[in-house]
Amino acid sequence: MKHEITLTVNGETLPVDVSPNDVLLDTLRTQVGVKSPKIGCERGDCGSCTVLLDGANVRSCLILAIEVDGHHITTVEGLSNDGLSALQEELIAASSFQCGFCAPGIVLVAAELLEHDPEPTRDQVREAISGNLCRCTGYDPIVDAVLALAEREGSDS
Amino acid sequence: MSELTYVGGRAPRIDGLDKVSGAAEFVDDIDFGPDLLHAEIVESPHPHARILGIDTAAAEALPGVVKVATGADFPFTFGVYMKDRYVFAQDRVRFVGEQVAAVVARTPQIAKRAAKLVEVTYEELPPILDPDAAIVADAELLHPDLADYPRVPWFFPHEHTNIAHWRKTRRGDAEVGFAEADVVLEDTYEVPRYAHCAIEPHVVVGKYDLAGRLTMWTSSQSPYTQRNVFAETLAPLGLTHQNIRVITPYVGGGFGGKAGVTMEILGAALATAVQGHPVKLRWTREQEFYNTYQRQGVRARLKIGAKRDGTITALEHTMHWDAGAYVEYGANVVNAAGLSATGPYRIDNVTIDSLCIYTNLPPGGPYRGFGYSEFHFGLESHITRLAHALGMDPVEFRRRNAISGGDTLPYGATMNASGLQEAIDRTAAAIDWGVTETSPDPNKRIGKGFALFWKAPAMPPNASSASFLKFNEDGSINITVSGMELGQGYLTVMAQIAAEVLAVPPHKIRVETPDTDRNPYEWQTVASHVTWSCGNAVHAAAVEAREKIFDTVHDAHGYEEGTLYLENEAVKCETDPDFELALADFVIDGIPMEDGTYRGGPIVGSGKFMPEFTSALSDPETSQGGHPNVHYTTGAAGIVLEIDIETGRMHVQKVALAVDVGRAINPTLIEGQITGGMLQGLATVLYEDMRFDEHGRLLNPNFTDYKIPTSLDTPDEMIPIIVEVAQPDGPFGARGVGEHTMIPAAPMVANAVEAALGLRITSMPITAEKVVLATIRART
Amino acid sequence: MLAGGTDVVPWLRDEAIAPVALIDIKAIPDLHLITDLDGSLHLGALVTFSDLLASPHVAERYPILGEMGHLVASAGVRNRATLVGNICSAVPSCDAGPVLLAYEADVHIVGPQGARDVSIADWFRGPRATALQADEIVTGMTIHPPAKSHGAAFLKLSRYEGEDLAQANLAVVMTAAHRYRIAYGAVAATPLRASAIEQLLDGHALDVDRIAAAQQLVAGEISPITDMRATKEYREHMCRVMLERGLLAAQARLNGAGPAYPARLV
Repeated sequence: MKHEITLTVNGETLPVDVSPNDVLLDTLRTQVGVKSPKIGCERGDCGSCTVLLDGANVRSCLILAIEVDGHHITTVEGLSNDGLSALQEELIAASSFQCGFCAPGIVLVAAELLEHDPEPTRDQVREAISGNLCRCTGYDPIVDAVLALAEREGSDS
Repeated sequence: MSELTYVGGRAPRIDGLDKVSGAAEFVDDIDFGPDLLHAEIVESPHPHARILGIDTAAAEALPGVVKVATGADFPFTFGVYMKDRYVFAQDRVRFVGEQVAAVVARTPQIAKRAAKLVEVTYEELPPILDPDAAIVADAELLHPDLADYPRVPWFFPHEHTNIAHWRKTRRGDAEVGFAEADVVLEDTYEVPRYAHCAIEPHVVVGKYDLAGRLTMWTSSQSPYTQRNVFAETLAPLGLTHQNIRVITPYVGGGFGGKAGVTMEILGAALATAVQGHPVKLRWTREQEFYNTYQRQGVRARLKIGAKRDGTITALEHTMHWDAGAYVEYGANVVNAAGLSATGPYRIDNVTIDSLCIYTNLPPGGPYRGFGYSEFHFGLESHITRLAHALGMDPVEFRRRNAISGGDTLPYGATMNASGLQEAIDRTAAAIDWGVTETSPDPNKRIGKGFALFWKAPAMPPNASSASFLKFNEDGSINITVSGMELGQGYLTVMAQIAAEVLAVPPHKIRVETPDTDRNPYEWQTVASHVTWSCGNAVHAAAVEAREKIFDTVHDAHGYEEGTLYLENEAVKCETDPDFELALADFVIDGIPMEDGTYRGGPIVGSGKFMPEFTSALSDPETSQGGHPNVHYTTGAAGIVLEIDIETGRMHVQKVALAVDVGRAINPTLIEGQITGGMLQGLATVLYEDMRFDEHGRLLNPNFTDYKIPTSLDTPDEMIPIIVEVAQPDGPFGARGVGEHTMIPAAPMVANAVEAALGLRITSMPITAEKVVLATIRART
Repeated sequence: MLAGGTDVVPWLRDEAIAPVALIDIKAIPDLHLITDLDGSLHLGALVTFSDLLASPHVAERYPILGEMGHLVASAGVRNRATLVGNICSAVPSCDAGPVLLAYEADVHIVGPQGARDVSIADWFRGPRATALQADEIVTGMTIHPPAKSHGAAFLKLSRYEGEDLAQANLAVVMTAAHRYRIAYGAVAATPLRASAIEQLLDGHALDVDRIAAAQQLVAGEISPITDMRATKEYREHMCRVMLERGLLAAQARLNGAGPAYPARLV
């Protein structure tokens, strides 16, 4: 049986028909058409399904769509559609990512970190992205870019 | 040598924007409309069993099910180097998880439910789960028809056994060599299986349209090889290369696991069964663990002899590979190891036996390092132990015996020039080799470990690359190639090569992901060879385009081609400093003449590269006489490891890795391979741990219990060192790097543990648990 | 019942459970509150691990809740997963178990028969089995520290620095009056209080000999198995190592020194 719920995705409020069993990750990808959250493990282990729910990072593979009726979801498309964020520009300039499959999730959690703490330590950045598995990069190039950005923005202000 | 503008520079990745903005599209992101069907596989629960019957009636009756297929529908074998694998199991199953049937339905949920309704009756057979059990005299034959399988001519299966291939390399006389030695050391090393764990699982969409054309979308390292396998396998259905198209967008990590063909054959076969509808098959993370290639396990017996002065006199290396149920690709891993399992050393007397052995475990196959990651653990552990036995410093011992350009390789060919000595020296310096470090914490010990590595691409002698190149009205360029961007930065490197030749900056060059209808041939993106091979093809295409540019300008303006050059997206002339013609002005439109006519037209280029000096043919008993490997990439690595003696917990303080890449086209990308590859290598030795039960079932097909590194597991300090001793036949002198950076990790850690604790561990993984229990046992 | 869903949603997807109805309790008012009861702490059933980590009151007064919380899963999971959910799933390696045992929590339950409390000591009945009946719901827990001022440590043995399930975990709580509460997890069918060790130490200051004597009792207190995550032998050895490190850290912290919270002591 379908229920109509209301989701605000990247600033746009829209009605979505869901069954109670529908997982948020699948709803976002197949019904809303937002592809950046990825299917990596469907068990909450890898973080490639990460979205921001009301600003806090969650595993969208562990949430039923119906649970987030009326809530706000941000994906990396939401960071990109008004022009790239400074964080995204930095990660591009530093060539931090390789295959890019983990990138949407990591960009979101890094953005969330910088929102709460504009001058994180290296350990804080590592901790913040520790829930997102990346098989390619060895993480350092991502951490370095986030820190470089924080330092530059910090010294600008 | 003139200075280069783009090659050697840290151009930002040209696919960075796609990946960071969310624009990058992977196969599962592509929408196929409401007509998309979904497939679910029925898998064997047994490691070895005869299939007595398959009842599909209940599954077929479920509303929403479009087709149920079994081996009877597709009685075909397939394989890249040997055809020993089946689309669906035929008379028997050979590993837990092997595909037996499939359901295609309107929704994934219906497919899943219907798959559970398929009833398969099995007669269980005793499984063979260890390669040594597979080669005892009366062992059950897992592939009774082994001798009949079509295969490449350089594989040597042993009929009526479970030995699918036996590569023998013999040079000199090992017995004589051992007799000359002052010290001979012998031991056995155990390396288990490992999983690639690319974050994007395998996925395939196939559509066999109403005109009889099969289009496949795959997450693959090898679109053309896939097309070839599809064409060969489905030829009985009337398919040929002409009516098969393979499209591969971005790939979320490969590491060898997406080479060749594994689950994609199911997508192709099932597509033909539901003509007119696209059908998707997406592997779950669990299937990703147990029904894709795994890195093969190996039991390696090493015997090495050396003289007091440090000269290695003989090496005997026998490897028994746990190659799994099907070895169509994995047998080449065994082959590659069998040719090069001396490591990067000059040894006159060599006996190598590399046996590819069938077991009732998942199929083994290519994994970053392709046999070299597997055998370097034992080899580089053994080299350090031999040094100690001689009373010699392990790095000095390596310096004395390191192979150099011009030396003879184990199979008789000649070693290419390499900066191995420079790599050794710079790595040793980076970790202060020779200086013992102590921790202020009484519970901690610090040990340093060292290892060398080498690897050559393991390819058929006619592996080739091709490239097309065209200009656009704005002076930008499209390059079409069929190498894969797996993350290594391949697209960017191709752009930099073309940029250098055509004086167009990389950010104005697009390199398109493969489509076998439009992009020309590439054998596979494996073997760390595409920078070299496809780089040469792109270079040739750019040079051809440049020639046409100069011809056009000559036609229109009369300047001799030899006086023209390209700079900053324009044509200039050495003999006329005032002449400058922007490429954008004519590369499509041509050059206007005074009389209103035009010269030139669209500028396009094409190029190809295939090495013409390499041959896999050699003496089957000795491997002498061939030239199977094009060249080696060599290097060295060192580690500073801190160990908590109470908990066994190991902490990597510092890693240095030096690799001779010939020419670093983009140093940032090479550093990325060093950082990423080394962490992957460290994971295999420190905590990745595949567990099978006595029924051949994988117990930990998930990230909960198969641990891959997080950002908290990185070394304190990673020191990448780039060595450049040119590869004469490479683009701007470049040779490949990609796999190499993980190869030295495991033996380096084993050597550091010995240095810190006096404990030699000869099996992987070397976990905290293994270390602390070994320490306790050593004390009692 | 659906709260954080981090266990329930995968079970639903795998069709490991097929409930007739799923009741989302997240809208029930007040269940998300952390309330100071002057000497004890009430945690509503909807308090997530992130809520716990964000509470300055918890950090100041019950710091091993945070020391444990940091090591549970990932931030993405912690933003949803609840402590009550953790003890309702009741896997033997649950991280909340030893900490709640050491804090002698009471579990507040409501059902058709009315409200009742179950002491955490009686809560865990076996692997994935608790005192909760099928028609009941947990509304919260109350935590009882031994004294306002106490030293404590939580240790979690895992396979590497990244997120992992515990191979063994340990909570130690001690007071200036030399009262000890020591609880292990992942080394028996349920989390357990090491009462023999507590008895040995009770009333005594810690010294090298006393700690060594306590370590001798570890093997008798726990019944670890060999499974995919660790061998029995390793777990037993590490439980001894963790006991020493936990006791020393708790003692140092009691005296205003010691490793800052949250620490990784093993």
